[in-house]
Amino acid sequence: MSLPAHVYQIYIAATPKQVWAAITEAEWTRRYFHTVAFVEPPQQGRPYLTVGVDGRPAVDGIIEEMLPPEEGRPGRFVQTWHTRYDPDLAHEPASRVEWTVENAGKGLTRVRLVHGNLEQSPLTWENVKDGWVWILNSMKTLLETGQPLPRVSEDEILSPADRS
Amino acid sequence: MEAGGDVFRALADPTRRAVLDSLFDRDGQTLNELCQKFPEMTRFGVMKHLAVLAEANLVITARHGRTKRHYLNPVPIEQVANRWISRYAARFTSALVALDKQVSADEETETRRAESA
Repeated sequence: MSLPAHVYQIYIAATPKQVWAAITEAEWTRRYFHTVAFVEPPQQGRPYLTVGVDGRPAVDGIIEEMLPPEEGRPGRFVQTWHTRYDPDLAHEPASRVEWTVENAGKGLTRVRLVHGNLEQSPLTWENVKDGWVWILNSMKTLLETGQPLPRVSEDEILSPADRS
Repeated sequence: MEAGGDVFRALADPTRRAVLDSLFDRDGQTLNELCQKFPEMTRFGVMKHLAVLAEANLVITARHGRTKRHYLNPVPIEQVANRWISRYAARFTSALVALDKQVSADEETETRRAESA
């Protein structure tokens, strides 16, 4: 892991294998990751591309490491991260996103996300830093309740009081 | 570990909030670097605060070779905000928005009255 990097961590009431599926399988990511999904199942050492529900490219890069979690061994998913969804960000070089999925007790998994190699990608960092918090919380909510976080909008912020 | 009591407990202390601010300004500091930021505290004192912050999942440590670095984890703060703050703030915000709408509507009525007069 090179500097500067930023680190996020969340605990999810699910097994490491369930969390691993949520990170690496298109049917899962589509439900909590702004509808974004892998076009082809990711494979270690191979390029990847993710697209939104409209089919437009979101992110591409290389899967540098793909080691599913096993009993007594954390899972590792490392991808270079080249933003495609915004032309300004697409000019920046690829950064690196590292996922570590680790058993943290019975039915509890610790997910650590490190976004590094950002030296030459300040716009990408500015764009994703709050986004990761939302993505991780949305993934947690989906795995624990079966429903992703609702999209944040003014209407939804107002609705609880409007209903009363 | 989860958003809740330990997060509030960790945030209740002004020094620990200052440590988080320091990591927000520059993420990934070592213990030595943090100790320099808080010269009034002993090394042990800084370590104790970092332990409380780590317990609340607000600070994460990662090793780079022989160096241990500290990172601010914003995730629990967002969880606390979602769970505790937005549901109360929502009423307040919507009351303000409603007030604003009412005032604008009144102003419009006033203007129309003034025009027709």
